[in-house]
Amino acid sequence: MTPEPPSLPLPQPPSPLAAGPRPFEEAARLFDAAAERLNLEPGLATVLRVPDREMRVAIPVVRDDKRLEVCDGWRVQHNSARGPCKGGIRFAADLTLDQVRTLAFWMTWKCAVVNLPFGGAAGGVACDARAMSAAEIERVTRRYTASILDLLGPERDIPGPDLHTDESVMGWVMDTYSMHVRHTETGIVTGKPPSLGGSIGRRRGTGRGLVIVAKEALAAAGRTAQGLRVAIQGAGAVGGVAAEQFHEEGFPVVAISDYLGGLHRADGLDVPSVRAWQRERGSLAGYPEADAISNVDLLECECDLLVPAATENQIRTENAPRVKASLVVEGANSPTTPDAEAALSARGVLVVPDLVANAGGVTASYFEWVQNRTGYAWDETTVFERLARMLREAFQEVWGVSARERISLREAAMLVAVDRVASCERLRGIYA
Amino acid sequence: MTELTRVLETSGSAETNPFEAMMTRFDAAAKRLDLDPGLYQLLRTPDRELVVAIPVGMDDGSLRVFMGCRVQHNLSRGPCKGGIRFAPDVTLDEVRALAAWMTWKCAVVNLPFGGAKGGVRCDPSKLSPGELERIARRYTASILDLLGPDRDVPAPDLGTGEQTMAWVMDTYSMHVRHTETAVVTGKPVVLGGSRGRREATGRGVVLLAERALEWLGIPSKGCRVAVQGSGNVGGVAASLFHERGWTVVGMSDVTGSLLDPEGLPVPEVLEHLRRKRTLEGFPSGARGSNADLLEADCDVLVPAALENQITSANAGRIRARVLVEGANGPTTAKADEILEAKGALVVPDILANAGGVTVSYFEWVQDRAGYFWEESIVNERMERILLESAEAVRATAARHQTSLRVGAYLLAVERVAENTRLRGVYA
Repeated sequence: MTPEPPSLPLPQPPSPLAAGPRPFEEAARLFDAAAERLNLEPGLATVLRVPDREMRVAIPVVRDDKRLEVCDGWRVQHNSARGPCKGGIRFAADLTLDQVRTLAFWMTWKCAVVNLPFGGAAGGVACDARAMSAAEIERVTRRYTASILDLLGPERDIPGPDLHTDESVMGWVMDTYSMHVRHTETGIVTGKPPSLGGSIGRRRGTGRGLVIVAKEALAAAGRTAQGLRVAIQGAGAVGGVAAEQFHEEGFPVVAISDYLGGLHRADGLDVPSVRAWQRERGSLAGYPEADAISNVDLLECECDLLVPAATENQIRTENAPRVKASLVVEGANSPTTPDAEAALSARGVLVVPDLVANAGGVTASYFEWVQNRTGYAWDETTVFERLARMLREAFQEVWGVSARERISLREAAMLVAVDRVASCERLRGIYA
Repeated sequence: MTELTRVLETSGSAETNPFEAMMTRFDAAAKRLDLDPGLYQLLRTPDRELVVAIPVGMDDGSLRVFMGCRVQHNLSRGPCKGGIRFAPDVTLDEVRALAAWMTWKCAVVNLPFGGAKGGVRCDPSKLSPGELERIARRYTASILDLLGPDRDVPAPDLGTGEQTMAWVMDTYSMHVRHTETAVVTGKPVVLGGSRGRREATGRGVVLLAERALEWLGIPSKGCRVAVQGSGNVGGVAASLFHERGWTVVGMSDVTGSLLDPEGLPVPEVLEHLRRKRTLEGFPSGARGSNADLLEADCDVLVPAALENQITSANAGRIRARVLVEGANGPTTAKADEILEAKGALVVPDILANAGGVTVSYFEWVQDRAGYFWEESIVNERMERILLESAEAVRATAARHQTSLRVGAYLLAVERVAENTRLRGVYA
């Protein structure tokens, strides 16, 4: 859920997390290491690793030309020990159950790291949303919602947007659910348009959160933030917002990119003017007050903070040695491969992992759910103040564990998360 | 643990893979019906599949996670109906195939049900009653959102029985805060089970064997029948055949067969089985292999044990003129062709053993009404449904000049397709 629907077309990852033959098993390695370090009893480790429920549904959809097609849809609830499940819905032609399972798995740990009262879920439909009309997407969304309805609910499982699903899709999910339960239920889904119960500040949640976490990391590492140069890969809901925020807080943003390429200026870009250009033209390309830079070179440019906020597997074994930043803050999910991370840490580069760095999105979604439940909307200051507090606490916890256990921030984040969920499982016990 | 997350994958060769086997028959029917490609795809795809992790505290204090699933193949004719099996080698493919099978079976006998199936990958022979109860309860709780008398009504299958169904009923009832007997069938009679349900499948097999002979103009008096399997289906069928004056020339259990061309004393054989739990040591008749039984000289063969018993390898040696499939899928698609070429009449499983689901349906009707029927009413109503269905299958097969099996699928697929067309596509 973290990467909110990009306001601009970003390069579409072929299939996120599908890099290996068994992405779930790869993702689970980090979990296995944490479980071992925590000395979890094998039965409990299995309970935490295996998804609680996986549902596949057939989604018959009448295309605009009246043909009937059947798409596969899934919803995976990985763990509900800490509360209702939370996770995105993505529409992608090459979506597989294993990908959905992997996404749900990450959501459990991400929610636990920031201490949200949520378990992890993910869902999606194997359909090519880009080749469908809005009416077709609406029918797919409504039928998918109806088919998985038994699993959903504000106290059960709360979807959010993900790849190729946006605020209007969330609006349809909310409407379909509400029609079935015979009353308007806004708390069933987050990422809604503000007029339908969406939270103020949610669209900016991930980007704002990333800057909060980056500053917290600098402070923890004893570095002064003054004058630190930032390079950002991606200029969508995460990268674009982060750039604005960094700029506002006095960090020179020396590079930023979108799917067509990037802009570079050693003494710092005028971010508001870059964003205005991007809004008008639909892309960064051609912005006059900067040099062009490729997405690959951006990762290796002279800077202090590098924010990969586009897609996964951007920093790999090949280019990791050439990364000049001393701090990498992961705006995207899994932008750094495990080998690259090892190479970076060997050189003393600090990597703030996605689980914490981009958790601002799910935290803001959590706020949306809280506001929907009470029926009372917060103002923007309240949202960002509470966001900052939760993210700072999460980062401090992870930082402390990392120092105590002498492990990477990523391993520490997983350790904190697994320990939290395990303690909930133990306290609740096994039903039946 | 990889095992757990990728539960349940394909098994068997192309001829014996359960999903493929079922699909071959479905495809044959769909082709003749000239279904719209979208509708074809819709009928082929299970509506919903739910896989659940079932954590269970074991008697030794350890915690184990079992994997379970529930597949609802088609909801267009009414609530889904289908068994729950507990077996160490359950695969999702198998459960999918069995769920689809239930759709067609319910449609052939015109019950207002769609098809479903569920399973838990566990070995009941290695679990204590307490462990089995905890598995059944947690499994029920985990799939509870899918269940309900108007949604999906499970029943016993391999490795589960009346006691399991009682636990399912109790768990469901506790969750919904009232006793709901109609959520599951195959319950003990004291908990809302139906009279006559235990014997229903065997009784149906016998009724259909008689009707098949009638079609062929063969008098059933003194007819020779061989029955493979002596459980709920085979044992009951053998005993009813015997009661009706047929000559039961062969019976079998897991240890092999017992043959007597002059006819076995069925009540004594069953009594022996009850006491010794094996055919071993029965004083009369000759012991043989399962192959000996299948290939015995007889008029009617009732394979009522396992799937894939009659294959391209042995179909040529079958001597019976009529086969009544008491088991699910005892004959492979290739064996069907060989038998048809030889002129043998196969009464297909989705019709032949539908007596069981028909009386399960009666159990559901009685639970919903809260009013219970005498056994004679149960048997009478089942007989009417099965024989009407048999005639409808025969007429369909004749109209399309095809086998009873393809005729049964044609009838079933057409009925489900009709409902789907009338209801339209939601949202």
